[in-house]
This record gives sequence, structure tokens and C-alpha cells, in this order.
Amino acid sequence: MKINTDLLEIPVRNLRKSGTRTFLTLIGVIIGIAAIVSLLSIGQGLNVAVEKQFESLGTNTIFVIPGGASRGLSTIKLTDSDISQLENVRGVSTAVPVYGAAAIMEYNGKKMNVQVSAADGKKSSIFESTGYFDVQEGRTFSKNDSDAVLIGDKIAHTYFDRNIIPRKIITLNGQQFTVIGILKPQAQSFGGGPNTGTSIFMSLEAFNRIAKDIYPSIIFVKTFSPSDVNYAVTAMKDILEKKYGKKSITISSADELLNQVNSILGLITLVVAGIGGISLLVGGIGIMNAMITAVLERTREIGLMKALGASNTTVLLIFIIEAGLIGLIGGIIGVLIGYGLSIIISTIGSGAGFALTAVISTEITVGGIIFAMIIGIASGLLPAIRAANLDPVIALRYE
Amino acid sequence: MLMKSNEMIRLENVSKVYGIGEVEIKALDCVNLKISANEYVSLMGPSGSGKTTMLDVLTTMMKPTTGKVFIEGVETTKMTNSELASFRGKKIGFIFQTFNLLPKLTALENVMTPMWINGVARAEREPRARALLEEVGLGDRLNNRPNQLSGGQKQRVAIARALALDPNIIVADEPTGNLDSKSGVHVMEILKDLHKKEKRTIIVVTHDESIGKQAERRIFIKDGQVVGNKGDGNKVCQLSGTNKIK
Repeated sequence: MKINTDLLEIPVRNLRKSGTRTFLTLIGVIIGIAAIVSLLSIGQGLNVAVEKQFESLGTNTIFVIPGGASRGLSTIKLTDSDISQLENVRGVSTAVPVYGAAAIMEYNGKKMNVQVSAADGKKSSIFESTGYFDVQEGRTFSKNDSDAVLIGDKIAHTYFDRNIIPRKIITLNGQQFTVIGILKPQAQSFGGGPNTGTSIFMSLEAFNRIAKDIYPSIIFVKTFSPSDVNYAVTAMKDILEKKYGKKSITISSADELLNQVNSILGLITLVVAGIGGISLLVGGIGIMNAMITAVLERTREIGLMKALGASNTTVLLIFIIEAGLIGLIGGIIGVLIGYGLSIIISTIGSGAGFALTAVISTEITVGGIIFAMIIGIASGLLPAIRAANLDPVIALRYE
Repeated sequence: MLMKSNEMIRLENVSKVYGIGEVEIKALDCVNLKISANEYVSLMGPSGSGKTTMLDVLTTMMKPTTGKVFIEGVETTKMTNSELASFRGKKIGFIFQTFNLLPKLTALENVMTPMWINGVARAEREPRARALLEEVGLGDRLNNRPNQLSGGQKQRVAIARALALDPNIIVADEPTGNLDSKSGVHVMEILKDLHKKEKRTIIVVTHDESIGKQAERRIFIKDGQVVGNKGDGNKVCQLSGTNKIK
């Protein structure tokens, strides 16, 4: 049997001539693919956002967190000599402890809970590339800023009934501080960094005024190069666990954390996309239903085609190609709409302060279209086989 | 295998049996039949006589239980289904009582259908279909769909379609059954022309005496057997197991 372009033209014509039914069947596939594509696109976008966060810290960054996996419940008090020991580990260029505490902020007659973070001014250059200290108003830290604070965007604009602007005085735990800058609003991150919108940053000296008996909640360690990371992690673990006991400290390289977060995100994305896949399943059933009905309605037509010389294979191919085309066209439109949706979602989300981007990737595009086509062909297979095996004599006389 | 010159269709000891054992129905019983080139034949018989089965078998739409069917000297009973389909498409043109046009296609597209099925070159299809429709007087109806045509017009489209591959054999099953008398006459005129002018072999199956007698030769079928025709007797068939066709 010759392979010729009729086998494409005739199914296309058949689909066109059953316009409404084809359209309705298409909708099922389009919705299914659009759901999956948009979810995958957003999911990949989340991965990208997280990676960006980690990138700004650098791949040669290590996080040392006292306590086990649960932050904040730790009573391990790392000392300055501990920090020095860490800095002496081969490959480590600097270890910057960050101190944190909750405090009560008072301004304009109102009191609110805030999170205060402080780091040694001499070492804080590690954070410069992260953009955490980028200001939208005022200025960032310079020397002799022992009473200065940087406050987050949300604190400045939403916490109190009045906006806070630079040079204003605020009170933290009864102590007065001068606001020197308002931080730029930062997109909500997913495990990649602090939520600067509701934070206040100050120098270590300033911090000593509002919190006694302070100890680091996290230590950012930088190595000279990414290749130093693995050794440094092991060595630092040894040192600290010897002193404080096993499982007393969690040390993760930026890469590790990134991988962990990405794999969780990846899993969530897959599960959610899988749920979206349910609607695609329904779409596939729709195709099958449409094809079964088509075969039934076209029974006499099939008998006629066989009388006119069509082989069983020809009939089979015509129906399979019709079903496959519905999948293909539905897949293409679904992918386009899916991306459109994800762009809309990410635009709205970004506006609301979430780090959402829509990722358009070849894999999602090609995968989505091919998957839809396969669903089409698979759904149309049984009806097509039925059509191919119809007895022409009986089919021709079918009422 | 000797082919008698100008033999178009030959049935040799053909039987068609449905069911098994006690519930056997012999639709065709040991039929021997020869139709020559350029003959105009009518097949007649009451309902239940087996004439429909006879039609199905001699057009190769159905394989007999035993016996052989030859079309233009070629034995078809041993062909595979796909060989048969292809062979039939080129050798036989069909006309049905209920027209069997594809409802969503135009007259032109209907006539082109056998062409794409049987691999006619693309460039030839439309000109040929146009010419055929003009021949049957429907040159101004090329783009009409069946629901925009009268019964007589539909049957003429069907005739044009039957001629698409220029077959030697035209088979018409009750061609005027669904037509008014005027259209019926017109259709029979066309069949006559196909016979006389174009020298094709015409087989008309009918129960209508007035239609049947327009043929040169009438073949009567009763109880699955051919009765009272020229040239063929009812030979005694050997219904042995080895003759059975799968």
C-alpha cells in the first residue's frame, strides 16, 4: 500500500467537515495540555528563582546552622573562637556569623514585632552581591553607623499607620535607632534567603544594645573557590561536632541546599502537574468517545470505501491519523495557551511579591505536543481497529 | 488456467453456506455462471432467492464457501483481503439503490473518492471527475452536496463515481429503487449508453420486471440456484471439504 499525502489530506478534510464535533473534542485535549504546561512552566520558574537566590550568594558558600534540621530550637552557642577555628579551615576565606533576635519596635505610638538581624560590619561585604542591602530610599551602611538601622519595605510602608522615611527615629526594645535606609522590596523566596521585607538590619554593636547573651543563628562561610567546598564542609563538621556533639550542627553547601530545595520543588511540580494530567486523561477519553461515535456513524461510509477499493489498512490509518491529528492540534494550541496562562500567573504573582517566572523550554513544548499526539493515537486505536475490521457487506447495509 | 476470450465474470461451482450443522442455510447452491464482455445482464429473483448474496459474491465483496470466482480471467477467491480490495476498486464500479454518497462531500469530491483510494495521480483527479459529472449532465452541480441534490441527481453522481476508474464492469443494485419514474428512466438511459456506446459490461440486480427486461439477458435466481438462462446449466457440485475457501 502506497504511503501518500492523501492519508494526511483525507483525515484533515474529515475533521474539518465535522467542525463542531472536532472542536469540542479538541477542547478536552487543549485544557489538559494547557493545565500541564502552565504548571510545569511555573514549576520550572520556581526552580529558576531559587537558583538565582543561591547564585547571588555564590556557589562557594556554606551555611552553618547551629542545631539540627530545625532552626531556632537550638541552644548551641557558638563562640568567637569557634568562628576563628572555622576560618582557619583550609580553603575557607571568611566566616560571617549572623545574629538574630525578635524585638518589639515602636513608632508613631504603635508597637509591632519585628525580626532583627546583625552582622559584623567588617565582614558584611559578603552580602553585597546578594542585593539584600539595596535601598530604595536613603543609604546603606557605611563606617560609624553604630546606631543606624536599615528597615524592610513592609515595615516602612505597612506596619505602622505612617510611612517611615530615612532619618526617622525608631525604638527597638526600648532603645532608639536612626533609620538610614529603606530596603528595596524583595520577592518572596523559597528557601533561598531571608525575607528582608519584614526585617531590620543593624551592626553588631547596635545589636548588643537590644539583645544580651547573643549567639549566631547562622554562619555564612565563603571558600576561596567552589572546589574547596567539600573539604571545608567535612572539616568544619568535625571541629564543631567534636565540641558540641553529633548532630549538633547542620552544615550545608549552597549546592546541597539548592539541590534539596529543587528536588522538593520538582516533586511538588510533578504532583501538581500530574493532577493536571487527570484533565488530559478526560480529554483522551473524549477523543475515544468521539472516534467510537464517528466509526458508528460512518459505518456505511467505511463499507463504501472498502467496496471502492480501500484496504483494511487504509481504513485503519485514516481513523488513527484523524485521532492523532486531534491530539497534535490540541497539543499545539494547549501548549500555547498553557504558556499564556503561566505568563499571566507569573505576572500577577510577581506583582504580589512572589518570585514567579514562567519558563518556556523546548522540553515542555515538544514533550507537551508529542504527549498529546500519543494520547490522541492511543485513544483512537481501538475505534480505528473496529473500523478496519468491519465486514464491508454488512457495513454497506447498516441502517 | 484457460480464459475464454472476452469472459468478464465467471462463477464456478460457487456455493455460499451460512451457519453449521442443523442450522445451515444455503444462500447459493452450486452456481455456475458466465458473463461475457459487453453483456448487459439483469439478475432477478424474489426476496430470499439469494440474488443479493449472488451480487456480493460476483462483485468479490463476499467470498463463497466453495467454488471459484474469476474476474476478467483472474481468480479472486484466493486473494487476500487487501489484494481483493485493490483489484475490485479498479475492475468494478458500484451503483447502489440508496446512492451511498458521502454526505459531507461535494459531488466532485464524491467522484474523486475512488481515485484517491486507488492511487490515481493527483493532477488527474479533478479534471476527470469534472468530465464524468458533465457526461451525466451535472456539470453545474459540481460543488453541491448530496443534500442539495434530487434523487435522480444523486444517482447520476453515483454513476459518475462508478466510472471514476474506468472499469469494464458496472454493477447496479436496484438503481431506480429510490427514484421517481422520470429519473428512473433517465438513469436507465445512461446505463444503456454505457453498454452500447462505451462497451462496458452492465449487471443490474432488480426485482422490477420493467427494469429487468431492458437487459439483453436475464438471469433468474431461485432458492440459491440459477434457473432458466442461456448457456449455463446447473452442474452437480462436489461439496467436498477441500474446496472450502477460508
